[in-house]
Amino acid sequence: MSTALWLTLQTSALAVMLIVLPCVLLAYVLARYQFHGKGIVSGLVGMPLVMPPTAVGYLLLRFLADDGWLGSGGVDLDLDILLTWRATVVACAVMATPLLVRTARVAFEGVDPRLEAMAHTLGISRTRTFFRFTLPLAFRGLAAAVILAFTRAIGEFGATITIAGNIPGKTQTLSTAIFTAQQVGNDAEAYALLGVSLTVGFLAILSSEWLVQQRPAPRRRS
Amino acid sequence: MSVSHQLELRVHLPLDRFDVDVDLLLTRHVTAIFGASGSGKTSLLECIAGLRNGVRGRIRLDDQVWLDRDARVRVPPTGRDIGFVPQEGLLFPHLDVRENLATGARRARLRGFEVEAHTREIVDMLDIGHLLHRRVTTLSGGERQRVSLARALCSGPRLLLLDEPMAAIDAGLRRRVLPFLRKVRDRFEIPILLISHDPLEVQALCDEVVVLRDGKSVAQGDPRVVFADPKVLPGAAGQGLFNFMEGIVARTEDGFSVVLLGGPGGLELITPPAASRVGEKVLLGVPADDLLLARQRLEGVSASNLLPATVAAITPSGALRIVHLTVVPELPPFLATLTERSCLALQLAPGVQVFVAAKASSFKLFEAGVAAD
Repeated sequence: MSTALWLTLQTSALAVMLIVLPCVLLAYVLARYQFHGKGIVSGLVGMPLVMPPTAVGYLLLRFLADDGWLGSGGVDLDLDILLTWRATVVACAVMATPLLVRTARVAFEGVDPRLEAMAHTLGISRTRTFFRFTLPLAFRGLAAAVILAFTRAIGEFGATITIAGNIPGKTQTLSTAIFTAQQVGNDAEAYALLGVSLTVGFLAILSSEWLVQQRPAPRRRS
Repeated sequence: MSVSHQLELRVHLPLDRFDVDVDLLLTRHVTAIFGASGSGKTSLLECIAGLRNGVRGRIRLDDQVWLDRDARVRVPPTGRDIGFVPQEGLLFPHLDVRENLATGARRARLRGFEVEAHTREIVDMLDIGHLLHRRVTTLSGGERQRVSLARALCSGPRLLLLDEPMAAIDAGLRRRVLPFLRKVRDRFEIPILLISHDPLEVQALCDEVVVLRDGKSVAQGDPRVVFADPKVLPGAAGQGLFNFMEGIVARTEDGFSVVLLGGPGGLELITPPAASRVGEKVLLGVPADDLLLARQRLEGVSASNLLPATVAAITPSGALRIVHLTVVPELPPFLATLTERSCLALQLAPGVQVFVAAKASSFKLFEAGVAAD
């Protein structure tokens, strides 16, 4: 059980770390710029949110199988992903992406673009403006986005079980472990896992609340 | 203060209801862009700051060309060295006041300013020293505007753009912000472009006014001449004219103050009680509409001020006449608006001696609430 929890936390954290930078940048682009095909980009990124997770899993399977589109059946990469912990990471990353992008986009849209324009008139370059003004101003929303993505990754089931399987000690996560325990009628195990899920979820919510209540940067008061 | 600069504004920008289309050459120290809301003023300002796309024409400050569509020049806002003070101040909410002031320090340093001393001077001038560690969300409207103005000045701009600097402030506080703007004007040689829909503000601050209507310039010149034009303020002809003068508080008694114009031995005016101490400078404003003229010294009238004057000129303004009066030779003439009928009845003509009567309460005091330097 503790292996499942440990593996879940590790793979979820890794998945979020992998996607956070590209997702935040994409969210910024979607929030601030108009370009051709913006709707399509936004739609594609959102697909995992509206597709059955098992369908996403199956699609990933087609990409990642040894004879799949990225393997010998296409680009011919030497992949060793399926049925390993790496598959869990991939599944979590793909399934958490839409949530992260959408929430981060809302966070950026909440930053008054005139503040950025103001920074530009003060001679501050676009890159500096992004890091010194936009990011700190969107901080609360971005933190919430990361936590949401992380909890989504922890709860990932359908795509995970499709491409990573449910191998105890190897690819079994919290959610697949609960599924197994319930299937074999091991109620004690299921209850224990339920307790762990509740704790992890609650801690995540608590920390997101705490993050959101923090000011973007603590300041002195006079 | 002699300032020589040239701001060339040839701007064409299509908007929803009309196009902004101006061709201006501004050479005065402080220029106002005056117009009703929705006349394209802010759009024009944003064009100058480089915050608008699709602008055609040419924008140049002295030898710096910021926009030239023909030569394919378009300097981004980051490179225009502009100090922009927007209507709502737009302070950075994640920074405190001191950090807000420091945001333009890089450019100020690049432009050769001794940043620390420069900032200290501006902080003292705008009296915001006690606010430096405050969060900007806790500032009052007037404080926010002063900090926004200070932030723009601290960045060492070549041009100061003020977008209705007092519009977001309630009327009582406006009188307190105005003196700060005048201080900035008097201290720095930076050309200032001010957007306003308030004739009082324009006359108190500006050397020149450009009247904008539906994106086009319909009048340009000395505010006291432009606002006398009935076409500029239709329906309120003559009511938009003010006389502004700087004086020194001579004494304050119960319920009134005496303000001295034109130095020692000059003219004494009875005004509402001043908050400033004796010896401090104050700005006085009186509407041209509030001045009464008499051929003889009036006896037994309630008006506290009775000033001997000479008619210098009479100019028409629609159905009204604007009488230019020399009261103190060193000061610009006072303007008084009269009907044509009154002018005839008093047989006014240049050179005629008259008395100007004004109630104490007609004089509005503009005080910063701090010692004048």
